[in-house]
Amino acid sequence: MTDQQPTPDELATLEFSRVFDAPRELVFRCMTEPEHLTHFWGPTGVSAPLENIHVDLQPGGVFETVMVRDDDAREYATCATYIEVSEPDRLVWREAHSGITVTTTFIELDGDRTEVHIHQTNVREAFRSTAAQAGFLSSLDRFELYLDQLIGTRVR
Amino acid sequence: MVNFGNERSALQVTDRQLNATFTALADPTRRAIVARLARSDATVNELAAPFKMTLPGISKHLKVLERCGIISRSRNAQFRPCHLERNALDDVSLWIEENRRVWTERFDKLDEHLRDIQSKEGTS
Repeated sequence: MTDQQPTPDELATLEFSRVFDAPRELVFRCMTEPEHLTHFWGPTGVSAPLENIHVDLQPGGVFETVMVRDDDAREYATCATYIEVSEPDRLVWREAHSGITVTTTFIELDGDRTEVHIHQTNVREAFRSTAAQAGFLSSLDRFELYLDQLIGTRVR
Repeated sequence: MVNFGNERSALQVTDRQLNATFTALADPTRRAIVARLARSDATVNELAAPFKMTLPGISKHLKVLERCGIISRSRNAQFRPCHLERNALDDVSLWIEENRRVWTERFDKLDEHLRDIQSKEGTS
């Protein structure tokens, strides 16, 4: 834990970045076209069948998938709405199933490489205001470390 | 892999649960109480000792922590010691970890997919 106080915008966020060896336009298409999404949207051991991926790439449009576990065929539907679509550098959607807003930024790097940055925000107002008043360090990534420090050991 | 079937799966831990935990821990006194209880169970008197706070003041904080399941209090024992329910905090850690894993695995597959389609483009 640091003494640095987060701004309200930093509250309850989770971030990921990855650099891909591919041009930005292509990476953007992969993140928005069902024909591409079906290849990677489900994590390990989970598929995302093409027929259940719906993308209406415009603000207010849907982004829906059904992920299916490979071992027992259990299904998990995700349902999001695009808030912002700015090809090829930025996508924002809000997930109805989780209440999380996901902002994806596509950054062009040298040599036809692209950095994809995922910023997830849990924007519940009640939480925001409480945490903001307390100046509570709650960037989720750091929060996890903080919990470890707080309770001494990993609870698992 | 993602345990979609597991009740405590990251993708199923609700917003509400997470928010309750965050809100409860958004207060420095409550965090100090949690840190104290991580060492051992303690009575209200023991918890109040390090703070310049009245017992009712401490009790108020304990109620918040109890309501969202971070601590529990024995109903039977005379001094009703408080106990840290580590699982409540673990849910938050678990959610963060699994969320990160989903994106990591997704991006591993995307990386592979990008290689595939680009090598096909290169050979055609």
